[in-house]
Amino acid sequence: MKKQEPKSGGMPLVIIGGVAVIAVIAGIWLYSSSSSGSSGTANSLANANTATRAPVNAPPGAPIGVNMMGSPTATVTVEEFADYQCGSCAQAHPILKEIKSVYGSRIQFIYRHFPLQMHDKSYNAAIVNEAAGLQGATKYWQMQDQLYSNQHLWANDPNYRETWMGYAQKIGLDMEKFKADVNSMQARSRVDADLQRGQAMGVSSTPTIFINGRAVPYPQVNVQSLRQIIDAELQATAKPAEQNQNAATAPAANTASE
Amino acid sequence: MTETSEINELTGVPSVKFAIAGTIAALLGLADSVYLTVHHFTAEPVPCSLITGCESVLTSPYAEIAGIPLAGFGAAAYFAAFSLAVLAAYGNRVAWMLFGLQAVGMAIFTLWLLYLQAFVLKAFCQFCLISAATTFALVIIFIISKLVARRS
Repeated sequence: MKKQEPKSGGMPLVIIGGVAVIAVIAGIWLYSSSSSGSSGTANSLANANTATRAPVNAPPGAPIGVNMMGSPTATVTVEEFADYQCGSCAQAHPILKEIKSVYGSRIQFIYRHFPLQMHDKSYNAAIVNEAAGLQGATKYWQMQDQLYSNQHLWANDPNYRETWMGYAQKIGLDMEKFKADVNSMQARSRVDADLQRGQAMGVSSTPTIFINGRAVPYPQVNVQSLRQIIDAELQATAKPAEQNQNAATAPAANTASE
Repeated sequence: MTETSEINELTGVPSVKFAIAGTIAALLGLADSVYLTVHHFTAEPVPCSLITGCESVLTSPYAEIAGIPLAGFGAAAYFAAFSLAVLAAYGNRVAWMLFGLQAVGMAIFTLWLLYLQAFVLKAFCQFCLISAATTFALVIIFIISKLVARRS
């Protein structure tokens, strides 16, 4: 029997080095041949979980109106940045509906558009939502329900615009006004304003939810965790008010007892 | 007993065909991971022709660790597996054992990723499933090589 000599030498290293070079070249080629390669990592998730607290000097976004639920004077603000074509946002939608329902006027809920560049229809979906909102807050939220709950139907549908028109009819929009508003600058500028606010706040993935300016890590985007955070914020913000009230009533109580 | 298997038994070096199978599987995984890493940085839609949910998975917060795309870690792991398989093909016994250990580690992590897709994100990405299949192929190749060596 002939003993097999280990085939050493430099050949393995040549093969390994060759594959490393090919992998790097292939990666660079793929990156440079992509249409958005030169625009950098605008939509990467790199900063998603590091944006723990929003910068205070971020632009205000679209004026708060139809995109707000709850009370504008509430001490706890829940601000959601979402994308209509993002699957995780569609999953978060019923969670946030429950949160809105549970807390009502004890919180201020603000919805912000953050259409990711990688989604070809989400910017237009946001405009459609804003165009519906120009016919009232109810229509705004109804259209949002339609877009999220039927996301799987229109996201890959080449005739998605007709599908959206169907939603508009279903929720009883004035179709002539809606069609005009979809093409108006008013709806578009609201989406752009939200997008600018999100970018300034360090949002780079969706959904990103801020509670009193603090980003909620995605694994905590569930009813139980959100309720814990909101309850803690409600308690924290209620304490100073209660203390002030106690301080104001204490002398009166002392006087009464004397 | 063939000459090759006898040598395997004596040295612990896998038959060259198993090492080559390992390099091919690792190369497939490397190509898949490089593609997904590039996608992560260009933020372009991934063609998701077989199943829906690619974007849900690839844009989820689980798609990266400490700012580095998960696919980047995958590319590094597949490259390491490829390197070890090449060294094993050239008679390095330790490299094949390390290949096996790494493949098992990758498979355990893959099971966690499959759990996330199935139960947390409730969406699947076909490129992630290709990577999972490749990882399991690495483990299967290693196990078969050991079984064949033991039987011979």
